[in-house]
Amino acid sequence: MNWQIHLPALVLAIPLLGAFASPVAGLGGRNVRNGWMIFISITTTAMCLLLLQKVLADGTAVYVMGAENWNLTLPSGLSWPIRIILQVDAFSAFMAVVGSIAALAGAFFSLSFMDKFTGLEKFSALYFLLVTGMLGMQLTGDLFNFFVFLEIASVASFGLIAFWRDRPEAVEASFKYMIVSTLSAMFILIAVGFLYGRYNAVNIAAVARMLHMGYAEKIALVFLVVSLTMKCGTVPMHMWTPDAYAEAPAGVTCLLVGVSQASLYGLFRVCFSLYGASLGSSVIPWTIIVMGVLSMFIGVTMAVIQKEIKRLMAYHSVSQIGYILLALGVGLLALRDPQAMADYGFTAMKGGIFHIINYTMYKGLLFLTAGAVYYAAGSRNLNELGGLASVMPHTTFMFFIAAAAIAGIPPFNGFVSKLLIYQSTFAVYPLLAVVALVTSVLTLASFVKVFQTAFLGPAKKKFANVKEVPGSMLIGMSVLTIVIIALTLFPTWTLSHLVEPAAKALVDQAGYISAVMGGGL
Amino acid sequence: MWAKVYSGFGYWDVYVWLIFFGITSALVLWLRSLGRDDYKEGTEQDEIFYGSNEVPEDGDDMGVPASSAYWGFVKALKPYYDSLIEIHSGIASDYVGYFVLTVAVLAVLVLL
Repeated sequence: MNWQIHLPALVLAIPLLGAFASPVAGLGGRNVRNGWMIFISITTTAMCLLLLQKVLADGTAVYVMGAENWNLTLPSGLSWPIRIILQVDAFSAFMAVVGSIAALAGAFFSLSFMDKFTGLEKFSALYFLLVTGMLGMQLTGDLFNFFVFLEIASVASFGLIAFWRDRPEAVEASFKYMIVSTLSAMFILIAVGFLYGRYNAVNIAAVARMLHMGYAEKIALVFLVVSLTMKCGTVPMHMWTPDAYAEAPAGVTCLLVGVSQASLYGLFRVCFSLYGASLGSSVIPWTIIVMGVLSMFIGVTMAVIQKEIKRLMAYHSVSQIGYILLALGVGLLALRDPQAMADYGFTAMKGGIFHIINYTMYKGLLFLTAGAVYYAAGSRNLNELGGLASVMPHTTFMFFIAAAAIAGIPPFNGFVSKLLIYQSTFAVYPLLAVVALVTSVLTLASFVKVFQTAFLGPAKKKFANVKEVPGSMLIGMSVLTIVIIALTLFPTWTLSHLVEPAAKALVDQAGYISAVMGGGL
Repeated sequence: MWAKVYSGFGYWDVYVWLIFFGITSALVLWLRSLGRDDYKEGTEQDEIFYGSNEVPEDGDDMGVPASSAYWGFVKALKPYYDSLIEIHSGIASDYVGYFVLTVAVLAVLVLL
């Protein structure tokens, strides 16, 4: 039997094993614990890459937990999709690869960054639980399991955000995130309950096949859309983001960027694959577009006035999520009109999905460089920092790459995805592209501020003993830098081999349904 | 792999940009090489011009702090920023309020 058919399960089982075996590995001391963390992270990333390769070659992978088939056939002949199903199409596999790379970089970075703290076996256990939750959300074909994995990710992130529990700000940030996250999880559960009550199924493909818009379906849609947009930090529900991202250890913040993309994945899986053509009116697409525009502008304008480096970057996360929502909202708007989809919708989808990988890589790298600055200089306050470029040349170089990419400066990868977004959204409504362009200018302005105040300027006496961060932190940052440079130099390959298959999978609702259901139900 | 990225409205070619960047860099370096070669390191030629004032020894005593950056921009948009900062209260019940409000507004829009 070909072991690769088990890849979807292995992608989840490996980090889960990593989580539960972390306390055991911790008994072996620092080197064993660190080795375990890196081994699990590299293996998970490798499995995700293999899964992507398999899905791109063979089509959607459907994996049924503990059985050969998805359905339970009763003596009466009735068959019903009740088993736990993992359904991995090109979009799911793409998202899993993106998330696993962020997790790998965060793991490398955390080795030295967290070294002086205690309780690291708990840290690595929570870290891998968060990875499991994130990947589970992206691979599951089942609404209820999506909720379960979302909760696994949420609970692990509460612990990780408050990991420095002697800092009141960290505990407060975690508590606030816990309140809004639990509320949104309850709304998701109620939405799943609505759909289960109507269709006796929680399998996404099965529900999508039977779905007809009524009041229950509309309420479920509203609950799912608002909850998932909140989880990825969208205006006006973004306030938890700067608190949580700023207070979590830098390696965790890098991973949280990937986890926010899992919520974004859920949002688009619901909109495109679950509801799809059944969405009916254009209220939801326009809501997503408006939320995207507000997130872009409010996020970046709040970032400009920040003086704490990680809070500034967290507000930029809100802004960058706005770009993705704008692009995929435009794609959703064009979903029922083949001509509009051909004219601008598919370009917007490609821009949005390309921006997902770009955003995760450069934003993860920016948070890691902010962590490196904090590690070396002991401050995150831009008013106190300065002149670090001469003593931290490698960190400065990687910050420059990430800042140029997020600002959309040619030839970096951020420019390519933003170009696709500008041009396609302009076709819908020119003001959308104007807001996106203004946001990009303000993004550049705020990163010029960070670069000038933290890295440039005369050397400060209090930083006379500051030196470059340890090798493992540099490796963590280098992983993301290499990916950014690769995406910059090979945009055509990325678009044709990764982004386009993902975009096609997302718009192909019939393909998603038939991959599981075939002629069933 | 080496082809252009077509957006449907135009295209992007990273390699043309890199070639352009390389040529421009070579031109800049050539212009720089035409400059004076009697510069002496470690003499007064090396000193920072600080508005004819004495240069402070510690970098902390010079430069513009981050909170003063884009002062004019923030001042011009003061009403906008005042309302924006007021919204970002940091109070958890406000966070819940915005979530519930968004659910309510979207529910009305979708159900109507």
